[in-house]
Amino acid sequence: MKPRKDLLTIESLSDEEIHTILESAVAMKEIFTKSVKKVPALKGKSVLTLFYEPSTRTRSSFEVAAHRLSADVTTFTLSTSSVVKGESVHDTIDTLMSMKMDYIVVRHKNSGIPAVIARHCNASVINAGDGAHAHPSQAFLDAFTIREKYGEVDGKRVVIIGDILHSRVARSTSVILRRLGAQVAYMGPGSLVPPMAHTGIPQLKDWDEIFTWKPDVIYLLRVQNERIESPFFPVADYHQAYGVTEERLRRIDAQDISIMHPGPVNRGVELCDAAMDYRNCLVCNQVENGIAARMSILYHLTPATLS
Amino acid sequence: MTNSFITNAVWAPSGKKVHLRLGKAGNSVRLDPAAATAVPDTEDVKGITSTDVELPDGAHCTDASGKLLLPALFDLHTHIEIPGRSKRECIMRAGEAAIHGGVWGMLVLPSPAFCFDNGAALDSFREAVEERSVAEMVPCGCITLGMLGEQQAPYNTLATTRDITILCDGDRAPQNLLLLYRAMQYAVDLDLTFAARADVPALTAHTYVHPGSTAYKLGLHPCPPCAEEIGTETLLRMAEATGAKLHLQLVSTAESVRIIRRAKERGVKVTAEVALHHLLYTHEDIGDYNTVFKTTPPLRDKEDGEALLEGVKDGTIDCIVSAHTPCTPFAKKQDFISAPEGMVALDTLLPTLYTKLVKPGRLSWAELIQACCVKPALIARPWDHEEGASSEVPLLLFDPSAECVVDESTLACGTLNTPLLGETLCGRVTLPL
Repeated sequence: MKPRKDLLTIESLSDEEIHTILESAVAMKEIFTKSVKKVPALKGKSVLTLFYEPSTRTRSSFEVAAHRLSADVTTFTLSTSSVVKGESVHDTIDTLMSMKMDYIVVRHKNSGIPAVIARHCNASVINAGDGAHAHPSQAFLDAFTIREKYGEVDGKRVVIIGDILHSRVARSTSVILRRLGAQVAYMGPGSLVPPMAHTGIPQLKDWDEIFTWKPDVIYLLRVQNERIESPFFPVADYHQAYGVTEERLRRIDAQDISIMHPGPVNRGVELCDAAMDYRNCLVCNQVENGIAARMSILYHLTPATLS
Repeated sequence: MTNSFITNAVWAPSGKKVHLRLGKAGNSVRLDPAAATAVPDTEDVKGITSTDVELPDGAHCTDASGKLLLPALFDLHTHIEIPGRSKRECIMRAGEAAIHGGVWGMLVLPSPAFCFDNGAALDSFREAVEERSVAEMVPCGCITLGMLGEQQAPYNTLATTRDITILCDGDRAPQNLLLLYRAMQYAVDLDLTFAARADVPALTAHTYVHPGSTAYKLGLHPCPPCAEEIGTETLLRMAEATGAKLHLQLVSTAESVRIIRRAKERGVKVTAEVALHHLLYTHEDIGDYNTVFKTTPPLRDKEDGEALLEGVKDGTIDCIVSAHTPCTPFAKKQDFISAPEGMVALDTLLPTLYTKLVKPGRLSWAELIQACCVKPALIARPWDHEEGASSEVPLLLFDPSAECVVDESTLACGTLNTPLLGETLCGRVTLPL
């Protein structure tokens, strides 16, 4: 396998790489059961987390992953207000590269920024979410979670529910699941689900169609009110139309379907309280697997700083 | 008149072989204002004779066999500002680029560097053009002061004392429709043309690409075509109500073409233009965030491109323009959302039109001359076509068999933001205008 410098999208990976990363995530997760949860794989390497968008979960997940591989972690905080308008990302990266970083984990509201940074520096760049474009580490942890639950992803049916148009999670997770042989469908409000002609992914009309489609996993996207300047839809009745209500939870239970969500959950919007305690709710598994998947990703990449 | 001739050139509109007498007025044609459809035939053109006519004794002849003779192009949509460069250098480079591309004259839209909202700015611009530019540059006045959309510019003075014929606020129309409506009412007597790109800014704010597979794949907010179509209807209704002349800039959707066609049928005084890149490329060319293809309005679907070309052929769309916009390499190296919009196209205009449209049979020479020479000049320089006016359009020789690789050395415009970089184009403009 050719050494890979960056992880920007799932599309850019070969099938072999996807399998390798998923496979070594299993080994990484075994480390968690030991009393010393640390291996020296990245000892002496430096990891920088560069988040232009606020995020606690993804950032800490990457930081824990890097720590467990014995890397040194630096956190670079850029609140949106401090990024001067018109300031170029290139200039920020030049500054950071003087610190001789080996890995840069970046999140930005603009789609495509990680690729620009990757072209511009020798460090391995990991896309931790760019605009509505991609979130590959989320895709890996989702695929890993489904594989762990069902033994394999191939042949599973997953429906992703919510605002697909603005979701990087839907884009990346649907790609990895389909690459691994799963069937994916979308369901969501009106034109916030792009037509199949654009996505290649079938669209289900409502919850009744979902239950008829017989999914193995129901994946609910987070309603992101904070990101959006003018709301895309009224949140007040979202739960009734698109959320897992208690009535729907009973049908989910009857069909033995799993529930997933990238977190953090808006209780009473995407999921009712009872759904969080449901026996097949995999939300906490996703968080734990996120660390294993990110360890595996860091381990898989080869920064150009080494040569 | 000199005794020098260019012989055996092919007059592009008719395909007839002609001789051309070089000289003060010999190497230019008079555009027929009465019917923009009537490209002057060889018999009507001073200095051009058909090959059956014998050349005078002692004539100095240059053989132009295999070359085409046609009127030079006029470009109705150019931005000549190069970020970080001086105004004079911008003017000089744009002039050189124009000559490369077979363009003898262009309408220069106001920009932050060239804010044509006062007489002094126009005077100093014209002085610099006189001094530096090899091509004719017609400044387009501002509708509002500083193009801010708040206060009307003194366009009465600009029209009467500085020969301004077209008004425009850069690439956008004032958002305040009442202001625009009043400006149109006021300007009717001045015979000014209002140039504007149709848009509803609330619908297109923070959008970057046409809705489609590219928007989905790249996670970029899509720009709904209905914004342009609503804007088109709005501007047309206002022009119709006030009687003002309207020029719609950068029409990009199939539905806009249909709306304009209907308006023309009911007699609205409207002309329209399409950018060459909207005829040649689609949103799919953006690929993996190639910022060269970032434009406003965004590149659309294949169907839109076909409808636009159909509009050019049936006269609904009057002109094809370069929408020449220099952007520095650094600016275009940024991410797609941060990078500025626009391409440079002056340098390559005629060879691109020939290679991509005329040669594959999508556009005839006669249609090209209508859309790139005759009609744009009529819109920008109506005074040329009044009774008794003597201005003429220069002719150029075009060698369709020549090939030219587009690279840094062949681009005079000063920046490299063209998707044609590295491509080989057919045809070369061989006679200095």
